Amino acid sequence: MKKITIKQMIFCGLFAALTAVGAFIKIPIPVLPFTLQFLFTMMAGLLLGGEMGACSVFIYMFLGLAGLPIFTEGGGIGYIIKPTFGYIIGFCIASYVTGKIANKVKNPTYKRILGANFIGLIIVYSLGMIYYYIICNFVINAPIGVWPLFLYCFILAIPGDILLCLISALIYKRLIPVINLFR
Amino acid sequence: MLKDITLGQYVPGESFIHKLDARVKIVLTFVYIIILFIIDQTINYALFTIFTAMLVFLSRVPIGFILKGLKPMLFILSFTAVINLFMTQGETIWSYHIVGSWSLEITKEGIVIAVLMLLRLLYLVIGTSLLTLTTSPLMLTDGIEKLLEPFKKIGVPSHEIAMMMTIAIRFIPTLAEETDKIMKAQMARGADFESGNIVRRAKAMIPLLVPLFVSAFRRADDLAVAMESRCYRGGDNRTRMKQMKATYRDAVAGAVVTLFCLVLIVNEIIL
Repeated sequence: MKKITIKQMIFCGLFAALTAVGAFIKIPIPVLPFTLQFLFTMMAGLLLGGEMGACSVFIYMFLGLAGLPIFTEGGGIGYIIKPTFGYIIGFCIASYVTGKIANKVKNPTYKRILGANFIGLIIVYSLGMIYYYIICNFVINAPIGVWPLFLYCFILAIPGDILLCLISALIYKRLIPVINLFR
Repeated sequence: MLKDITLGQYVPGESFIHKLDARVKIVLTFVYIIILFIIDQTINYALFTIFTAMLVFLSRVPIGFILKGLKPMLFILSFTAVINLFMTQGETIWSYHIVGSWSLEITKEGIVIAVLMLLRLLYLVIGTSLLTLTTSPLMLTDGIEKLLEPFKKIGVPSHEIAMMMTIAIRFIPTLAEETDKIMKAQMARGADFESGNIVRRAKAMIPLLVPLFVSAFRRADDLAVAMESRCYRGGDNRTRMKQMKATYRDAVAGAVVTLFCLVLIVNEIIL
């Protein structure tokens, strides 16, 4: 691994803090309240680049597990046995992939950013569902079928996140000139 | 509320467990988790109950805090118990006919498995939250840095990871406040965050998020300049004000846990 510069380190830390704040901004919609975590983790990948974005999400995950109440429902190591923890692992990997794809060119088009975001979305959901399935079937011994899993973890939750993908592309496009100033 | 975030679940105190070295506590917590998933015998569960109760007593953490930590887990705990209670096949002791060939059944094996499962998850949450209840996030970060140090050779930037965590902890309240400020400023200019359908609401987030990111960049830049001008250069040869030192306490704790593990494993093999 290359040496991490001071600036990269600070950006990583700040984005972990931003993600934590994002978990507090809740948009109340019917069925499931959804938070901006996903948006911030995507932005971390887009703005900081793949490695650093994933690093910042990793820091966020670590802090949450260390007991800071920064996940959607609190924090603590016990969160590992929550079936929804897989989404947080998914955020980390999705952030890496999104950042890698979008930052391949200097000034990405909307099409590229959106593509990168949707690939990230797919990663988050597949990891989230796999984790959900594993925890339910093997850890807490409560078998769940594939179809209910799909309904509960995918169909009900995905519209909000598709929206977040679109919005993060919009925001990123606006922020490109700004981040170039600070780089 | 903001102050609560940075402290996490930490309850300040002077107990034996509070005074243990953070590194030792982290390692022992991992041992605790592993052993919890190995044991299977009823007698071992009984021993484990005593052990956990002893830990809680030693930590002097008010029981209310521990219960508070269990609250977010309540759903998954009860869900697990109920599913296991009704879904396990075996000797039926109670059944309730619903309709057709559908009926609810409670079996002897179901009760046993439900109770053991519940205990396992319960101890997992209690034991691990004891770590975060008795160790402040900053001490934990320090401990993690020290534990990761041997991995530096294979390229794990242990000092940088710890520094990033510290920065994140430091900036969560600041950025939360900033978000609030920007939200109010935009509301004063007529922004509407609370009405309309979901698309409209999500769109309303843009005027909040763009300034938030810009201000975060500015802060990061200021901090980088401040650190660079003070010649900050990472972990090598850096001294610290509070050195971590393992004392006789840590040796005692390690010995007790090792002994306990041995007893459990021997039980598991013999029975």
